[in-house]
Amino acid sequence: MLARCRSISKVATQIPGFDGVLEGGLPRGRTTLVSGGPGSGKTVLGLEFLCRGAAAGEPGVFVTFEEGAEAIRRNAMSMGWNLPALEKAGKVAIIEARFGAEEVLSGEFDILGLLAIVGGHAKRIGAKRVVMDALDVLLRVFGDRRRERTELYRLHDWLINRKLTSVLSVKAQREGDMEAQYEFLEFMADCVIRLDHRVVGQVATRRFRVIKYRGSGFGTNEYPYVIGHHGLVLIPVSKTELTHQPLGPKIRSGLAGLDAMLDGGYRRASCILIAGSSGTGKTTLATTFAQAACQRGEKVLYLSFEESQEALIGGMLSAGIDLRPAIRSRRLMVQTALPEALGADGHLIRALGAIDAFKPNHLIVDAISACVRMGSQQAAFDYLMRLVGVVKERGITCVLTNQSSGLLGADEELSGIGFSSVVDAVIQLHFVEADQQIDRQILVIKSRGSAHSNRREPFVITDQGIRFTSNPEPPSVQAGQAGRKDGGR
Amino acid sequence: MSQPPRAKRSPGKGQRGHYVLRLFTAGDGSNSKQAMVNLRRLCREHLSGRCTIEVVDVARDFQAAVRDNILVTPALILIAPRPRVMILGTLGDLQKVLVALRLPGREA
Repeated sequence: MLARCRSISKVATQIPGFDGVLEGGLPRGRTTLVSGGPGSGKTVLGLEFLCRGAAAGEPGVFVTFEEGAEAIRRNAMSMGWNLPALEKAGKVAIIEARFGAEEVLSGEFDILGLLAIVGGHAKRIGAKRVVMDALDVLLRVFGDRRRERTELYRLHDWLINRKLTSVLSVKAQREGDMEAQYEFLEFMADCVIRLDHRVVGQVATRRFRVIKYRGSGFGTNEYPYVIGHHGLVLIPVSKTELTHQPLGPKIRSGLAGLDAMLDGGYRRASCILIAGSSGTGKTTLATTFAQAACQRGEKVLYLSFEESQEALIGGMLSAGIDLRPAIRSRRLMVQTALPEALGADGHLIRALGAIDAFKPNHLIVDAISACVRMGSQQAAFDYLMRLVGVVKERGITCVLTNQSSGLLGADEELSGIGFSSVVDAVIQLHFVEADQQIDRQILVIKSRGSAHSNRREPFVITDQGIRFTSNPEPPSVQAGQAGRKDGGR
Repeated sequence: MSQPPRAKRSPGKGQRGHYVLRLFTAGDGSNSKQAMVNLRRLCREHLSGRCTIEVVDVARDFQAAVRDNILVTPALILIAPRPRVMILGTLGDLQKVLVALRLPGREA
C-alpha cells in the first residue's frame, strides 16, 4: 500500500499517446534507456522529447555520437522542429561527440571529458533534460565490457546527481543482441523502452514496448506507433476498461421506411453495419443517412476506401443525393484513402487525426471489406476494432458498410469479420430474383436495445434516392427477438 | 583546426625539433595523475630541453574540451610539429606513445 502511494515524479513527454502507456511520462531526474533497430525512430523520439521540453520550459542537451550535428538539425527540421532557433534562444544545445579515426589508444581513460562538455553546456542553458543518441558508439571505443560498464556507471551517476531527466539510446539489431550486450544498461536505467521496426506482409509496422519502469506501473502491451510529419504518434489501444458511451436516443436514418423498421431509427452512438453484395445500395443507404444528418446541422466524417470524393459525389447525384451543399457548409468531410497506401496503423492515425480535428457526430466507413487490403485480415480487424473503440468512447455514431460475397448468410459473414460484438445493428441488403427482373430487399437482422421489424422489405433506387415499394409496418411485439422464429407466422 | 595560443612556457616555439604537447585532464582523477607522471617522464627521457607541455583541466575549462573535441580523458594532443596526433589514455604503453609521436625508441 505504502509503496503504491509513494508514486515517483514524472516528466510528460507530450508525445501523443506515450504518456498514457507510461502512466504520466518518463521518470523525472532519472535515466530511460531506448533501444531499437535502424529506422525505429530512436533519434526522433529523443529529438521530440527535447523539443517538446524546450517548448514547455525545460531546456535540454542533445549529444550525438554517430550523426553529425548538421544531420540532426536537418532531421529535426523535417519534423518541423527548428533546432537552430532553439539553440539561439538557449533552450537546446547540440553536442557532436564523435571520435576521429586517427586516435591512438594507450592505457586507461574515462569519459570525464565528455561529461565536462555536457556539464558545461547544461549549466549554460540550465538544462533539465539530456538525450544521448547512439550511446553504443561511445562505448565501442572502450573495447572491453568491464571498461564499458565502469564508464556507464560513471555516466549514470553523473546524470542522476545532476537530477537530469535523461534518454539514452542504443542500437539493437535483434532482441537477443540487446539482452547480451546491454543487459547491465537495462538493469541500471529506471525505465526501459524498446522500439521495434518490422515488415509484415510488405507493410512496415513499428511497435513500442515498455520493458520495465522502476516504481511505476505501465501499459505492458506492444503499442503500434508511426513516425508522422510532426514526430511520433502512438495509437491508444487495448485499454483495460471499456469506456464506451451508452447508446443514445433514436436518430432518423433519412428513410421513413427504414425508421419504421427500426422502431424510430438508429440509436445515436451505436455501431451500424450495412452489409450486402456489390450494387445492392450500401453506399446509397449510408450517404442518405449522412445527408439527413448534415441537414439537421450535424457533422459527418466519411472515410472512403473505394471511391474518390468526386466519384462519390457523382455516383450519389445519379441517385438523387446531392452531397455538395453538405461539403460546402463543412458539415460533411470526406477523407479518401487507398487501403494499400498505408499500413493499418497509418490509416488509424489518419482517421483519428480527422476525428480529433473535425469532431464529427457520425462516422461512415465505406467499406470495411476494403480494409483487408491494408495488409491482412488481422490488420483490418485491429484497425476497425480500434477505430470503433475510439468512436464509441466519444459517443459518435458509426456506420460501416461491408461488401459481402452473397454466398454466405449474413451471420457467417459477420463472424468471419469477427467483431460482431461491437456491432449494435445489422442491416442486410439483398438482390432477389423475381420473374423477369432483380429486386432489392432490405432486412434488419439485429438492432441492439430496440425492437425491429423481422420482414424483408422491397425497395428501389430511383433518381430521387431510395424508395420503399411497400409500406413497412412498425415492428410487432414479438419481433426484435429472433426474426426467423417468427418468420412462419 | 587552429588553436588559440595558450602555451605560456614556450621559449623554443617555432624552433626546429621542438615539441608542443597539450594534455587534457579531468580534475584529479587517478587516470589524469598517471598520465601526468608518464608524460613528464617521457619528456625528461626523450625530449629533454625541447618540449613544452600545456595542461588543460576540462573540469575547469569545458570550452577547451569543446574546441579540441575531447570526449575522454586523459588525452594528449601533439600540437607541433605537424601533423597533429591525439593519444587517448594514461600513456602507459611507452613504445606505442613514442611511435605515435614519431620519436625513435631508446636502444635496448
